[in-house]
Amino acid sequence: MTAVTADHELAPHGRGGWGLLFRAGWIRAAWMSCLFGAFGFGLVVVFRWWGGWQPLFDMQVITLVSMLVALPLGFLAGIGCFDYWAYYALGFPTRPEDHSGHGARSWRDYFRVNTDHKVIGVQYLTTTIFFFFAGGLLALLLRAELARPGMQFFDTQTYNGLFSVHASLMIFLFVIPAFAGLANFVVPLMLGAGDMAFPRLNALSFWLLPIAGIMMLSSFVVPGGAFACGWTGYVPLCSTHEPLGAVFFNQGVQWAGASSIMTALNFLVTIITMRAPGMTFWRMPLLVWANFTTSLLVVVATPFIAGSQFFSMFDHVMHTSFFDPTKGGYPLGYQHIFWFYSHPAVYIMMLPGFGIMSEVISVFSRKPVFGYRLMALSLMAIVVLGFSVWAHHMFVSGMASWLRVPMMITTLLIAVPTGIKVFSWLATMWEGKLRFNTPMLFALGFLSMFVIGGLSGVMLGSVPIDIHMSDTYFIVAHIHYVLFGGSVFTIFAGIYYWFPKMTGRMYNERLGKLHFWLTFVGFNLTFFPMHILGTEGMPRRVADYAPKFADLNMFISLASFGLGASALVFLYNMITSWRAGEPAPSNPWRGMTLEWQVSSPPPIFNFDEIPQVVGSPYGYGMPGAQHAILAPARTAEPEEAGVT
Amino acid sequence: MRRGQIVSLVGIGVLAGGIATAVAVLLPWLPRPAAREASRIDFTIWFVIVICIVIFAIVAAAILYSVVRFRARPDDHEDGPPIHGHTGLEITWTLIPMLLVTAIAIVSAIVLARDGAQGKNVLRVNVTAQQFAWSFSYPDAKGLTTGSLMLPKGRSVLLRFTSKDVIHSFWVPEFGQKQDTVPGMHPTLHITPDRLGTFPVICTELCGLGHALMRAQAVVITPAAFAKWLKSQSAAISSPNAAVSGAAVFKNNACGACHTLAAAGASGKVGPDLDKLAAYAKQARQPLESFIRESIVSPNAYIQPGYPKNVMPQTFGKSLSKPQLDSLVKYLAASGTKG
Repeated sequence: MTAVTADHELAPHGRGGWGLLFRAGWIRAAWMSCLFGAFGFGLVVVFRWWGGWQPLFDMQVITLVSMLVALPLGFLAGIGCFDYWAYYALGFPTRPEDHSGHGARSWRDYFRVNTDHKVIGVQYLTTTIFFFFAGGLLALLLRAELARPGMQFFDTQTYNGLFSVHASLMIFLFVIPAFAGLANFVVPLMLGAGDMAFPRLNALSFWLLPIAGIMMLSSFVVPGGAFACGWTGYVPLCSTHEPLGAVFFNQGVQWAGASSIMTALNFLVTIITMRAPGMTFWRMPLLVWANFTTSLLVVVATPFIAGSQFFSMFDHVMHTSFFDPTKGGYPLGYQHIFWFYSHPAVYIMMLPGFGIMSEVISVFSRKPVFGYRLMALSLMAIVVLGFSVWAHHMFVSGMASWLRVPMMITTLLIAVPTGIKVFSWLATMWEGKLRFNTPMLFALGFLSMFVIGGLSGVMLGSVPIDIHMSDTYFIVAHIHYVLFGGSVFTIFAGIYYWFPKMTGRMYNERLGKLHFWLTFVGFNLTFFPMHILGTEGMPRRVADYAPKFADLNMFISLASFGLGASALVFLYNMITSWRAGEPAPSNPWRGMTLEWQVSSPPPIFNFDEIPQVVGSPYGYGMPGAQHAILAPARTAEPEEAGVT
Repeated sequence: MRRGQIVSLVGIGVLAGGIATAVAVLLPWLPRPAAREASRIDFTIWFVIVICIVIFAIVAAAILYSVVRFRARPDDHEDGPPIHGHTGLEITWTLIPMLLVTAIAIVSAIVLARDGAQGKNVLRVNVTAQQFAWSFSYPDAKGLTTGSLMLPKGRSVLLRFTSKDVIHSFWVPEFGQKQDTVPGMHPTLHITPDRLGTFPVICTELCGLGHALMRAQAVVITPAAFAKWLKSQSAAISSPNAAVSGAAVFKNNACGACHTLAAAGASGKVGPDLDKLAAYAKQARQPLESFIRESIVSPNAYIQPGYPKNVMPQTFGKSLSKPQLDSLVKYLAASGTKG
């Protein structure tokens, strides 16, 4: 331990009291956050004084510059994200890479800047699960308010804040980064690589996340209340008619988006350049394909949401008029830019799940993935088509009406590659030897729920139907079937599937199955009736509704509390199994992909020798088939860091 | 595939499809159409639903059959057969969905075109949306403005939208049609009401704190009744009587959408009950008339307990002329104390 921490020191101070202050870590993060925050504050005040602007202390600008930009940068610098780069940039001798930032020796190492992709993967997952529970709690508060018509617990400002923050947390702090976390752990292992291509960038991408999440959550305590214009942040409501909280959303998205982009670049470079010898693109597991295609989407699309949020924030804080119609701005411009990201984002939240499905279904059916190449190609087809459908979110927006039919055709066409994937998974199961462990249950849950969500998506793709259904509870039902029944089920499948690999312990199978059934039933009881509410005439994002919807809403609220409770089973299972579960063998599921060929948890540098890939990752049922040849795995001992 | 497998698959599929069909047919999930456009939209919905149910049944059958028949015995550690793919099958499940979505696209495009096609003698209505009220004006009737959308049955109606502040969205579930109102733009929407009745006008785009309360009514009446209504309303506008013209200001600005006022036949529940104005003024410790004036011009100055702040538009001080405001205050003071 001591040898490791000594390497983290920034300056040649002793290890006495003062040294602690300057060592990368939480203490330095605390004072550097304050320092940077104060600097941001001073910067604003000095410039305003210099320019003679009144009022001198403009809380909106000060909050933006000091709290939402400077302070997080100070935190990142303090915790140690920039140390290596800072030395390099300032011309100091850089420390030779001694791999001290690799591996976790105690729980404390998970709270430090760590460059090991496996540690970062676990950091990602625990952080995102925290925000999953936070977002879920907000949803339960919403359902409590909606149980009866009229206002019971909250005023409308709070209510609108609740659903806006719920959606933002679930999308930007749970689904997208949870997939990034799983992939962070698994992709380098699957490729036969020792780590990601840019480990320090990887660490930085993780540490941006808690900043974004805390920013979005903390908007509740800002004067005027949380951002309350929905996660879509439509202008001009969000830019000129909202309290300060809206800026917390604008900036929170920037931090989360920056994290996404860096991770995606990292994945792309890792997948393109760090495949083990023999690992051609056509021998890559579909999970790697899925993350490759997702990363393409992220890199191209995410800068667009960053742009849309900057413009919206400029309109709010600096009184520019990008989207302000009273000064010549164009509100629909925001929607076009926003959805040019946020529709591909739907696939960013879906494709990694498709990858997990292919792994889980093939392993638990003991059969090769049916139509492997078409599966990979349909991922690419979704990427390409995904960029040409954004305006289907705007069929009733008043955009150029000629755009509607072409966008409808591309939207409907996306059903084709998606259908190919669903049918291929079914064919993978056909005549297999099915085993229903928890990951497989969630995979089957995903298949059935995602088909319902996909079909309601086909309905919404048709312009006349969409005109009726837009902005109603039918949409709420649809997105939850796709993102909960789809994405969240695959995340659960992935977490259970790789839990033995990540922790070296088995989860409790009975609790896992209980969790699945409670979630599956609770999910359907909660979200299926919402289809009916929507078509009958209940709009979404309302705190109050017509009395005729009261019974159904009460039913949904009760079901949602059951669904919420099911998550506690998951949490209990994860915590107790991680602490005291049965030790996991290296390959409990008898999988063929590379991560199962090393110990659980894997050695600090994954492979003692780089494996030689010789065949398909899905050679189930073929006598003597091998995916890769590698030296016998050693166990994960911290001492190995020095040996290798 | 053996014959027994096919029979069981079809059996499960028919069962799953039957359950889905029963849910779709038996549950009352679509409002009864009150416009020709809504009927066409309903037709599109049922067309797509049939396709969806067939696909759902196929997938459900495959999953359920596999789960039951291909379950591995606990002691069976063999792998399944190494089937890597089947080109014919893969082409089939690429082409058939492609044909189905093409059919959906063609039907949808036709319905969309027909829903937009205006009939002869179109009735034009200008719809104004603001936080958090609707108002409807009839340019062919000297700009008559009301808080409820009155429409004659069987006539093509073209709504032209204006938004004073943020994006709202106009929706009458029974009409099927929907359109966002974007500030700075004037989109239109075509409707042909074909059933008498009163239907809710709902704002479906989040527009701020009072979004859930931004409601109005659409009333479809016979063409004869509509002509009569237009005449009586136009007469009310041009009457010189101050109280009547106060009533017109009240009506034209859609005050009744949110407020109750017995004298105007208004029963809105969003804002304070204007029949109790005298009591409110007493609570606010202000003389009645200046209290009413202040509440219209700067609504946040005094908020009656139990009602939310920032919901009443703060624009009336600017949008009403001085005589209009005076007559509205007089009208409210007079009719509010009567009730």
